[in-house]
Amino acid sequence: MATMQNTLRKSHIIADRTATVSRLEEVVATSDEFDQVVAQALPILLDRAAGYTKRFLRETGQWNDDIEHEKFALRWGSEYLERFLVCGRTEVPCRPLFLFDSLVAKQHSKPEPFCYHPDLLKPLGRFLDGLVARAVVSRDALIALYHHSYGWGAGDVIAVTGLNGLESQRIYKNFRRWRESGWQRTMDEIGLTKAELVELESQRQRQRQRFNSEAERLIRVAQGHYRKSEPDHYPCLSRSQWGEMFSQGYGCDYRIWHLALCLDCMQTAWGLGSSESSAEKPRLELQVRP
Amino acid sequence: MVQEEDLELYRSQLLDLRSERPSRSVRGLLDPIQVYVNERRVGELKGAEIEATLHVHGVDHIETVQLRTEDGRLLGGLVAPESGFRTARVQFSADTVELCVQNTVQGGSLSAVFIPAPSFWNRTWTILADIADRWMVRRPASTMAYGIRTVAFTQVLLATAVIGLVADRVMIWIAPEHIVAPTAQAEALRTASIAEVEQLAKQLRELRLMQTKVGDALQSQEKGMTLLHQTMARLSSTQESVASSVVMVKEEIEKRQESTEREADRPVQLPVGRGVVDQEQFETAIHGLAADNERLSKQIAGLEEHNRTLTAKLQMAIAHVAKAVEQNPERVVAREADVARKHQLVPVADSRQNTQAQPFLFWVTFSEGTTQESIDQWVNGMKGHKGSLNEGWQEVQIIPPPVPPDLFLEQIKGDKIIKEARLNH
Repeated sequence: MATMQNTLRKSHIIADRTATVSRLEEVVATSDEFDQVVAQALPILLDRAAGYTKRFLRETGQWNDDIEHEKFALRWGSEYLERFLVCGRTEVPCRPLFLFDSLVAKQHSKPEPFCYHPDLLKPLGRFLDGLVARAVVSRDALIALYHHSYGWGAGDVIAVTGLNGLESQRIYKNFRRWRESGWQRTMDEIGLTKAELVELESQRQRQRQRFNSEAERLIRVAQGHYRKSEPDHYPCLSRSQWGEMFSQGYGCDYRIWHLALCLDCMQTAWGLGSSESSAEKPRLELQVRP
Repeated sequence: MVQEEDLELYRSQLLDLRSERPSRSVRGLLDPIQVYVNERRVGELKGAEIEATLHVHGVDHIETVQLRTEDGRLLGGLVAPESGFRTARVQFSADTVELCVQNTVQGGSLSAVFIPAPSFWNRTWTILADIADRWMVRRPASTMAYGIRTVAFTQVLLATAVIGLVADRVMIWIAPEHIVAPTAQAEALRTASIAEVEQLAKQLRELRLMQTKVGDALQSQEKGMTLLHQTMARLSSTQESVASSVVMVKEEIEKRQESTEREADRPVQLPVGRGVVDQEQFETAIHGLAADNERLSKQIAGLEEHNRTLTAKLQMAIAHVAKAVEQNPERVVAREADVARKHQLVPVADSRQNTQAQPFLFWVTFSEGTTQESIDQWVNGMKGHKGSLNEGWQEVQIIPPPVPPDLFLEQIKGDKIIKEARLNH
């Protein structure tokens, strides 16, 4: 009896899935219709995008049959889905399924569509990759990167980056939002479980030096990839150039964005801010919790 | 199995995250909106209850535009067309961002305008202005002064109420912990007179009514603005296409002018070229005709010479015959009969003898390296003998050949040692 019920349920699921896919292949005329049709098909679209990502990784010789790679494919599938949900509304009238396929294909036709490194698929690598990737799209995550990299609070960040009063208030807000929801959301998006986070925290406490040196190696890989998402006019600078910027008081965005995403420039520009001139140059002290 | 569960859990988490409507995500009132072009941050719109604009121009084409909150949530965006305009309105809570993207050959440009929700003061002012307008329109001139006084009074009354409300809000904002206790509120209500309460209630109702009207007015205004923006976008697009058409037409006209000039030049050059060619052809033809004429003149001269010789021979022959007749008259009859018989045959025989007697003359040049011995052998082979030599041309006399002269010349040209052959030098 139970077997029959299972079989019936499965056949219902298959029928529903087929109907949803058919609906996705039909033309939708308005944004509301697009939202309605797509909202019913999120699991199908997520699996589809993850499937394409898997295929891309296989074809580029970067695939392994393990849970880390499966999670990686799901994560990027979800990224594509998010962009599709927002931008697809402006593409009506369209056939959602074909539009989705073209969007994913467009992403995969770009050079290095995502940051892939086998070590970035392990819990520590995933944590760092997720953090830096989030910093590119979220100012809260960007500011929090100072905390996660060096253990600084809002006041330290303001001092190091030489910000003025108005910008300072914003930094406090960024920290608060990150602690309240941003960090957890990021952990959910990168699929780090509570057990993995506990294990990372434990490693940090037990083998501090080894943990930090491994983190430094991996964060350089991630930063090197994601720093490309900065504006083109934000390259690395010499100490004198940084000094001029700090003393003249311009380039607030430049300082905040670049120094958070570049360990070397942080070393170079160290001491140019308001209060840390006498302190030792900062070293990576990875913080797992916000 | 654990791993599968872990993966399924992760998938569910991602689906939950994606199920959240991005446009409804919470954004702080004063938080800026981050603007991304082609997934790169290009700036931000200060969303602090004032209209803000961001213009981005780049060499690269714009593919996507995304608006994100400070915590990274995607609020909205659009996919830009390959070329031309695209506009989009992204609405979150009561605020709106209008995006206008244009891609041209020179690159892409983006204009993002943040339009905040109208503030309380703004709305109140609009209501008052609206009411004043209506009063002014409806009331006849005789009651104008009374109407203005009423409106002024209402405005003062409302302004007082609004200032009171704002002061109250400010006090709450400055000291959020200091909240009036419910008991104190009840006490205050008790002390107020019923008339005052009724008046307040009436004012509140009026305010609510005004607010509704303002809401309607704002909606219609927004619709109007949307239409205006769309019209402007269309107008810009049309303008651009007209401008490009003008440029194309200009280019076309220039091309045509250039081609016309080229064509105008060509006929001048052509007749010149043709004239030169024709002239050369004419000159060649004239030269040929002159040569033919000269050859014919020579032939005629030769023939006249030959004719004269023949005439002289004939005269001599007649003289010999006359002498012979005088010496032997008996034989004259027989001879006359013989002569008469011969004379019957003369036209044919004479012509044959003349033809056979006259040698066939032609001129040849020999191939380089041909020895004199070979030449002599060739001449002997032709049963002829050599004549004069002039400018490398050798005159040869032979018995007239059985074929026409032209064919004969063609035949001897086939001989190895003969370079060229012709009838006259």
